[in-house]
Amino acid sequence: MKYSFIKNGITSFVLLAAVFLSSCSMASSRIASDEGKVSTDSEGEAKTGSASTDFVSSAVDFNHELDQYKPKKDRYNFYFTYKTVHPWWDAVALGMEDAQRQYLERGITITYEYMAPDVASAEDQKKRLFAAKAGDFDVIGVDVADDAIISPILDEMVDSGIKVMTFSSSDAASGCKRIAYVGNTHNYEDGKDLTEALCKKLGYKGKVAILVGSVGAPCHEDRAKGAKATIAEYPDMEIVATEYDMDSVDLAYDLTMKILNDYPNLDGIICCNMSNPVGAARAITERGSNTVIVGMDHDQEALHYLKDGTIYCLGVQDCYSIGFDTIQTAVKIADGNKPGVLFQEKTDEATTVIYQDDASIMLDILYGDD
Amino acid sequence: MKKQITRKTFIVTAVVGGIVLMALVIINAIVSARQTTTATNEAVAEVSSFYLEAMADRRAKTITNLINKNFYQMEIAVDYISNEGIESEEELRNAIGDIKRLLSLDRFALVDKDKIVHTQYTTYAGGSRHAFLSGEMTGHRSVSTVSIYGSSKQLCLASPMDELTIDGKQYVACFVQIDVGEIIDLLAFDDNRTYFGLYGKKGENLSGTKLGAFVSTHNLFEALQGIVPEDTWTENRDNFLKAMDGIISFNVNGMEETLCYVPIEDTDWMMVVLIRESDIQDRIRSISEKSLLMSKRQIAFTLGFSALFFLVLLYMSKALAQKDLEVEKKNAQNFRNMANTDSMTGVRNKHAYSEMEAHLNARIRQNEIDKLAIVVCDINGLKIVNDTMGHAAGDRLIKEACSLICEYFTHGAVYRIGGDEFVVILQEKGFDSLKDVITEINHVIEENVKKKKAVVSIGYSELTPDDQLVRDVFERADQMMYQRKLQLKQMGAPTRA
Repeated sequence: MKYSFIKNGITSFVLLAAVFLSSCSMASSRIASDEGKVSTDSEGEAKTGSASTDFVSSAVDFNHELDQYKPKKDRYNFYFTYKTVHPWWDAVALGMEDAQRQYLERGITITYEYMAPDVASAEDQKKRLFAAKAGDFDVIGVDVADDAIISPILDEMVDSGIKVMTFSSSDAASGCKRIAYVGNTHNYEDGKDLTEALCKKLGYKGKVAILVGSVGAPCHEDRAKGAKATIAEYPDMEIVATEYDMDSVDLAYDLTMKILNDYPNLDGIICCNMSNPVGAARAITERGSNTVIVGMDHDQEALHYLKDGTIYCLGVQDCYSIGFDTIQTAVKIADGNKPGVLFQEKTDEATTVIYQDDASIMLDILYGDD
Repeated sequence: MKKQITRKTFIVTAVVGGIVLMALVIINAIVSARQTTTATNEAVAEVSSFYLEAMADRRAKTITNLINKNFYQMEIAVDYISNEGIESEEELRNAIGDIKRLLSLDRFALVDKDKIVHTQYTTYAGGSRHAFLSGEMTGHRSVSTVSIYGSSKQLCLASPMDELTIDGKQYVACFVQIDVGEIIDLLAFDDNRTYFGLYGKKGENLSGTKLGAFVSTHNLFEALQGIVPEDTWTENRDNFLKAMDGIISFNVNGMEETLCYVPIEDTDWMMVVLIRESDIQDRIRSISEKSLLMSKRQIAFTLGFSALFFLVLLYMSKALAQKDLEVEKKNAQNFRNMANTDSMTGVRNKHAYSEMEAHLNARIRQNEIDKLAIVVCDINGLKIVNDTMGHAAGDRLIKEACSLICEYFTHGAVYRIGGDEFVVILQEKGFDSLKDVITEINHVIEENVKKKKAVVSIGYSELTPDDQLVRDVFERADQMMYQRKLQLKQMGAPTRA
């Protein structure tokens, strides 16, 4: 019995060490990848990003394998809720489904609900969380719609013994008791990177507008903050408008048209979510304007606008990895594990800024469309 | 004057005729092969369009059948769920698992009235993920294309269902998604010389399959812009938008390519099939070359066989001619023998004697003969026998006398030169033994007189230096024979009165 205890202890130690080293290695490779994002755009200007296939291909990692962690149960049931029904979260869902399939191959059945309202709403998310609280879920995952409203609720849930994690692009407020977060941890920096690229393109001089997604959505707000901070660094740059499209392409289009009416000589638009650049590009194209657009995410239409030069650059997040890692982390949390060796308190997923030359490759990788 | 056909003429005619015949066969075969190739190429050019259209239609129908089959299986699946008495979400998930396993509907799911999708393992909001859920659900079957992030395209088949309530949720529709890759596998049933692909209405490649080396996986109309005339390009792009079929031929880097497209029923897809004209030409050329090679072999075989046949024919003709010649010679010899032989006795006749006499005369003139003797023999009493005992008895007497003469003059040539007259020509050995033989035969004849047997009067003479002709020798012998005839008469031999 004593020897068995020692043997199990050594096995666990070796396993934990392996997982730790593996996660360290993964993290460092992503950091290296981020550090390597410097090349020149089609006009020969320095930029973050590269036209190389390898670089663009690494923006989204579709080849995931579960780590060596052995789940304690053979059935898990999760609940995930996110801001709004939108293709961005559909991409996250595909990563989740891949992880679920791989667990199934190991004999572990994972079921989950992946729900969101048609329009982003913190109140709706609140209701969903209260409903989920009463359900029989091993872990509840939240892409926070509004950190001010949702974070206290998450704290209450944790206090009541419910295992809660956050995921995708928006973490809860700092100090929230949620167990872990998987997703973009650098929204502010993404906002800064895109805005820096725009400023450089404009010669650090001009009038710009900012389109944001949902009011209170941490990821959108953080990117807008990063954008504003960057603009503030250049005295000849001016923000003339800031608008929220509530994750609606149509609204983004209408807002852009309004801004263009108000400021016909607008030099640039900074788009902080996935719907912003699509709506903005439609309006710019319709107007025949030369306004430079920088924006977020991998919308197929936006990538086509990038390909034809209407959009200057896009920050593409690795949604697939977010989904895959969310399920892996949820399983570990469900088993009662805490952040540390098995998973990090914040699992960071990469954002890659791509330019016109990269658009065809990204369209091919994501949609089989070049 | 009529010209006689010689053997040489015959052979030359046969050889020249054979060569001309073979040349005609070869020329005819080559011309035929070329005409066949040309005719086939023309035919292929005419039918290639039809062929492509048929191939495109066949593949399009395969997809239509697949769609219908899946809709049918969805009906069965919904019936199964409705009749299972399912009461909870977990039971529903298990039932969906059963359906996936039993009906091979891998991506089967139900949709509730809030557009929430229920699969075997997940429940998710599907408004942005499935085109048929993006607006109001129509209550009709729908077929739509789904672009899967990081994956291939899928065909989504959605069907409304009679309202079904389970655990308080109202289910209003079901759907399956078929991966384009699976459809492509299903369509890969022809040879590898044609290319095909599934395209969207804007010419975008949905299947990821290469449409030849030039178009490859690119957008069809982006690839063809500037390659085909602008009006052709516009017409075909409009055909795509209107889901109409059509054919485009274009030339890239000297390669003629033809593609055919047909709309796929119930979908917004176009089936495009491409074949390179050179592939058809290569194939035809290959077939033609094989055919030509076969013809050449046949011609070579025919020529070889014909040459061999002619040789055999020639040999046989020569052998036959030789045989005819030998038969002719033999016949001639027989005729000659018949002409020189006395039919009754079998000894040489007067004609043979005359030839020999002429021959000997020539030799005498040239002084080539040293030893020559002529013996003249005459049968005594032949006429009496003929008259008294009949000609048959006379013939027997002739034969008996001849046998007697031949028996003793074994080294001489015996001739019957008249009815009862024989001549024996003796040379060399016969000449040397002449007198002994005469003594012996005369003794026998004298005995025959007593026994009433054949009696022959014999006279003989030898060639002397004064003799110019055989006739000279003959006459002396004839004289001697008459003297002998008298002697025998006196001994009692029968003699004509």
